[in-house]
Amino acid sequence: MGSVYLLTLRQLFGRWRLVIMTVLAAMPVLVAALTLRSTSAPTVREFEAIVFSGMLAGSIAPLVVLAIATAAFANEIEDKTLANLTLSPIARWRIVVPKLLAAITIAGPFMAVSALVTSHLAFLGDVRATVAVTVSILVGVALYSSAFVWLGLVTTQAIGFGLLYIVLWEGFFSGFVSGVRMLSIRHYAIAWMHGLDQRRFAAGEHLSLGAVIVTSTIVFGGFLLLAIRRLRRMDVP
Amino acid sequence: MTRHQTPVIRVDGVSRWFGSVVAVSDVTFEIRPGITGLLGPNGAGKTTLLRMMTGLAAVSHGTVTVFGEPARDNPPLYRRIGVMSEHETVYGFMRGREFVRMMGRLRGVADLDAAVDKAIGLVDLADAQHRPMGTYSRGMRQRMRLAATLVHDPEILILDEPLNGADPRQRVHFQRLLRQLAEEGRTIVLSSHILEEVEQVADTVLLIINGKLAASGGFRAIRAALNERPYHVRVICDEPRRLAAAVVTLGSVDAVNVDPDGAIVVLSRNVRDLQIELPRLAQAASISLRRVEPLDDSLESVFGYLVER
Repeated sequence: MGSVYLLTLRQLFGRWRLVIMTVLAAMPVLVAALTLRSTSAPTVREFEAIVFSGMLAGSIAPLVVLAIATAAFANEIEDKTLANLTLSPIARWRIVVPKLLAAITIAGPFMAVSALVTSHLAFLGDVRATVAVTVSILVGVALYSSAFVWLGLVTTQAIGFGLLYIVLWEGFFSGFVSGVRMLSIRHYAIAWMHGLDQRRFAAGEHLSLGAVIVTSTIVFGGFLLLAIRRLRRMDVP
Repeated sequence: MTRHQTPVIRVDGVSRWFGSVVAVSDVTFEIRPGITGLLGPNGAGKTTLLRMMTGLAAVSHGTVTVFGEPARDNPPLYRRIGVMSEHETVYGFMRGREFVRMMGRLRGVADLDAAVDKAIGLVDLADAQHRPMGTYSRGMRQRMRLAATLVHDPEILILDEPLNGADPRQRVHFQRLLRQLAEEGRTIVLSSHILEEVEQVADTVLLIINGKLAASGGFRAIRAALNERPYHVRVICDEPRRLAAAVVTLGSVDAVNVDPDGAIVVLSRNVRDLQIELPRLAQAASISLRRVEPLDDSLESVFGYLVER
């Protein structure tokens, strides 16, 4: 597993990806710094809705993960080097799992630092709230990674379909249709945030912490299993 | 001897289609130890067939077994198989030795450093092993990929167009290496659209045309099976016009042409008789024969003939 993990890390550390990730990760920090300085500073609820839910969990985290996780397989399918791995006497999960971990390893720290600094600014150093935001974003990164690694195996148009998913499902429908929230990674991340710091974040139409732990595990494991199944059954170029 | 009689790879009634396009149609053959050449023009279905034999692609119909086990969805089988695909892309950021080492580790090689040294030595790339593969020439990349294919000492080698980008010296080295590996008892399947490559090393030839197995067997056996086809024989002698006039009367000869350079090209459906009659005729007419050579006794002509059929 170590070989596949290290190989994927090296493949994913492209310069342009790092630049995009840095720019995207800096945006919530900038927004937090600017809005909190203004005379009409937002309330916690407004800040949560716009910056944590809308920006971090709903846009930036999925975009960063999309750029990283889809490439974990899609690049190798495109340049035909995936056969180097699939022609090895190792179980398919030993290819998928390290690739997923590599995607999380790269996207995770960027988003964790972004969430940590943004929430630290927003909550004036409140440790519990900062931890709640950071952990919830990391959970979101893991869930998006699992989904997008699978997407990268299913289609060569993973970026396009991923963008559609982020804009339409996570951005549009999950904001207006309450039932969709039960199937939205963005809302799982927000539910984690609420569950980890009920003092700071008011309860809303979110899953309880127990329920979101279960659903997150099912989503993460489900996409992971789908990716393993896909790698077993697909024609490797 | 027994091992040579036991098929290592069995392809039984295999077809593969992509939508309405039939890439491989009802192909059946067996491959035994030694070097088998898979020959056919580009787009004939060779790569699809090889991909099914290695388990990279599923069959639409039929079965492929390797050592009696299904080739598809059977990762443990790759301990015994080395596959070099036609795609030449490498990890450009990785050094050659690193690449071979990684492939060895993935294949569970025990004494990794010794195996890597041996594999890189076999392809004669020890001097370049510490350079990033992105700096390699096309031929060097192919050789390092071959080293990665050999690092776990596989019993079966499946090589798809392995000589792409190789210069003549590398080709000779590669052919020598293949023969050496075959003599050690390995089963080698070599695919190529360059007929000379296959002809020079393969013991057995499988001709794939339009997704079907057009012919199989030894090169000469295939040639003999085509004996209804006229052969061209080039004859160089000191009196070409007189010999041409005499040769045309032979029963084994269908036509005779005299080239502008003075060589006679004889068209015959019965080369065996011609081989006997021609020297006798020349001797009787006191004509000195300098050279008699088949013009089309190569895989290329057989291949061309089959494609035209």
